[in-house]
Amino acid sequence: MRTRLLATVVVAALALTGCTADSSTTAVSGPLCDELPKGDEPGNPTALASEPVDEALRWITVLTTFEGAMRASELVPELEGKKAITVLAPSDDAFAAKFSQDNLDELMIKDKDTLRTLLRAHIVDRALSLADLRDTDSITTLDGTKVKVGEADKMARIGDEATTVCADYRIANGRVHVINHVLGNLPTTAGQGDSGH
Amino acid sequence: MRTVRLTGTDVLIKTGSPHLEVPLNQRRSTVIAISALLAATFAPVVTSTSAFAAPLPAFAAAEPNQVTGLSVTQADGFATVAWTPVEGATDYQIERTAVDASNAPTGTPMVVGVWRPNRQINNEEPTFADAGFNPGSRFQWRVRARIGTAEQPYSAPIFDTTKAPWGDPAVAGQNLRTQWETTQAAQYTSDANEYAYTAEVDRLSERVRVVEIGRTVQNRPINMFVIGYPTPPATPAAVAATSPLAVNCNVHGNEPGDREACLIMARQLAFSDDARTLGLLKNTTVLIVPTINGDGRAANTRGNVTGQDLNRDYSLIRQPETAAYVRMLRDYRPVAGYDGHEYGNSQAGDLPMLPPRHQNVAQQIFDESLDMIENHMYVEGAKDGWWACPYGCANGSGVGLSEETILRNTLGLKNTVNSLLELRSSGGATRPDEGNTANNRRRKTFSALWTFNQFMDYHHNQLTDIRKARGEAIEFQAGNNGRIVFRGSRVIPLHPAPHPGEAGPREDLPTPDMILDDAPCAYKLTEAQYNGARTDGPNDIGATVAERIAAHGWKVVKVADGYVVPLAQPERGLIPLLLDEQGEEEWVSGERVYPTLTGRHNGPLTISGFACLEGATVNGPVNLRPGATLVATNTTISGPVNAFNAAGVFFGDSTVRGPLQVANTNGPVTVIGTSVSGPVNLVNNTNGAAPYFAGNSVSGPLNCSGNSVAPTNLEVRNVVNGPRAGQCSTL
Repeated sequence: MRTRLLATVVVAALALTGCTADSSTTAVSGPLCDELPKGDEPGNPTALASEPVDEALRWITVLTTFEGAMRASELVPELEGKKAITVLAPSDDAFAAKFSQDNLDELMIKDKDTLRTLLRAHIVDRALSLADLRDTDSITTLDGTKVKVGEADKMARIGDEATTVCADYRIANGRVHVINHVLGNLPTTAGQGDSGH
Repeated sequence: MRTVRLTGTDVLIKTGSPHLEVPLNQRRSTVIAISALLAATFAPVVTSTSAFAAPLPAFAAAEPNQVTGLSVTQADGFATVAWTPVEGATDYQIERTAVDASNAPTGTPMVVGVWRPNRQINNEEPTFADAGFNPGSRFQWRVRARIGTAEQPYSAPIFDTTKAPWGDPAVAGQNLRTQWETTQAAQYTSDANEYAYTAEVDRLSERVRVVEIGRTVQNRPINMFVIGYPTPPATPAAVAATSPLAVNCNVHGNEPGDREACLIMARQLAFSDDARTLGLLKNTTVLIVPTINGDGRAANTRGNVTGQDLNRDYSLIRQPETAAYVRMLRDYRPVAGYDGHEYGNSQAGDLPMLPPRHQNVAQQIFDESLDMIENHMYVEGAKDGWWACPYGCANGSGVGLSEETILRNTLGLKNTVNSLLELRSSGGATRPDEGNTANNRRRKTFSALWTFNQFMDYHHNQLTDIRKARGEAIEFQAGNNGRIVFRGSRVIPLHPAPHPGEAGPREDLPTPDMILDDAPCAYKLTEAQYNGARTDGPNDIGATVAERIAAHGWKVVKVADGYVVPLAQPERGLIPLLLDEQGEEEWVSGERVYPTLTGRHNGPLTISGFACLEGATVNGPVNLRPGATLVATNTTISGPVNAFNAAGVFFGDSTVRGPLQVANTNGPVTVIGTSVSGPVNLVNNTNGAAPYFAGNSVSGPLNCSGNSVAPTNLEVRNVVNGPRAGQCSTL
């Protein structure tokens, strides 16, 4: 009983960090990964590894705002045509901390040019792993902005505020990293004007 | 077996099993904490978790300040953890650990919740509803007190398997699952999946009829489950006669948690054969609108595809989605409602609720709605462990005001007992901050499922009171001559101790410019106001005011130079908010029509044109000439009333000492809350809508015949001393 229990704990610990040695699975890493689909659950990282970007985004539960914004922006065909991309995808919490609900609806429904620019600020024209982001000084996003990157503990820092919180999702043509702040230069409107239910 | 709640030193009465499973009813089972002794004896694996546990004394009493009496009760999607309070505890931490069939841990122990005294109205029996797991998984639970910040010893553990998703996988119908369920909450149910699931529930259950109540701007169907036993009544009017209840599940497209609960609940109602479900459905009809904002849901936007927040449009009905809902309310007449939302406030409770507060809402509706929240939801929440903010929601006071555009208030102004429901979408100090993860989605959805089930139970248990409140409210509104408030809320006092009230809904009293003390009797609209083209809808095209008034179901009298909307009707609280220039969000500035007679009139009264009697006394007969309109509120007429070929007849809270004859009216007829000493004849009235005859007392026979649509009593019974005949035989 004791031996089996220890084995269980060890496996659990490995699963937690995502550092599995099995080459047939896709390892993601970051503090949020354990809360996202894992193991053999629907939407687990391995299952997404060969999916196009739009389909992969539909399974990463914390990206519903980003996923909806990508559809609204009609950027997906352009991204799927690229040889390799990196998507720095802000979580729903990051969007909620950045934009008021009214502002977000405005962007998604009426101001799609601004939305496209915002989303381009989250996409890089080549595939960058977490290790690449940690090893590089800067990246240039599709909106033409040069963004400083680097190490942040075991994660990567993106710009001044954002870090990856679950990094290294593989998709058909690149990588997706979940980050905890919205990039780009739009003003913060969260908390302004929303009247609740 | 019987349930044994363990206290003190956890002396277990029944032995021989490491845990007891005690079915409380068909939905639940309870597991009671085993004593430290039995834990050591029968569940040796527990000792292996000692890295996370306080040492368990083999034969001693509980340690000082150790939580005892732990029990875990399984329900749909959540487990109620309960325990005996520890003297002096500041709060409690609830810990959960995934375990396998032999109770060996397979995951890291996690504090899944913090119980604070503001959680429930009964602090003597603390409970915590633990959701946020994949239903069917097996866990260990423990609870410990904290005194200040000092952690006290954990309780003995309980191991139990949570309930699998509802429905036997081997039984047709029961085995249906939504996309949200099959993806283990990684994806919300898509529009296409919803339609397929809905159609299957409809096809496989005799109890269900799915009706399309309208279409969205992008032409998505807006479906409604109509659920009754053994079959739902055939027509909206027949459904209305069962005093139905309605759940609106998804008005904000980016707040999908309630919708998933609604889809699961529809399956349970359609295919469950337990006594409670059948008992509910034998007595009423359940109306569930899973997705009124299908376009916003598909796009994950708050508003509809035009960007309009639909929960700021239920009075105005500029959008097809809200217009569909309001027409449904007119036709199905639910007596009670819930409106589901999510709430991104990390300091609020799990389930903030709020009654209709607008000051034009009848007191009876406000009181009954508050009763539902305070005397049912808070009480049941304390039993099952959900935190409905009984003492107020910190940082929550900015919402929940008096806009009549919000469904909560619109429903109240339509005399429907109802509440807002918010599902807390953020983490925070009392539960893990996981963001929009599968587990947080489950917390939201299963708390909504609990609430909607409690709502059905409340409706079932309190239907007499709900109907009484609604009837009195309808009578009050139809006879009310008092002031009109355009915006402004009733005060909601903080719930009394044991916990100090902390953050109740913000005081939102009407400002002087939002009050009209000298209320008119009616509003008169010009042809242009009534039938003119409007630009306030999608693509700059709006329905006419005439169409919107028809959707609300208000009675209108066509007069020579326009259209008169008398206030002596059930939605008197809502009409001025849309037709008066003083309104905050009105359609048009209608002309205020004031009473024509307020004092005493001796002798016969002959009415031609438009007459409004308010608080009047007429000693003599009243005769309406052809084409005339009479509106009488708070009025006593000593003499017969004869209306032949009139344009409109309205009575509210009045007395007629003599016969009342209303025949061949080519406009609306409504008689509410009125006492008639003599026979009543309603015959050959040809307006396209049903005459109202509701909440009256008649000393004499009541006869109705030849009316183009049979009169309705709006489910408010009349007291009739004589025979009821013809179209009024059941009123």
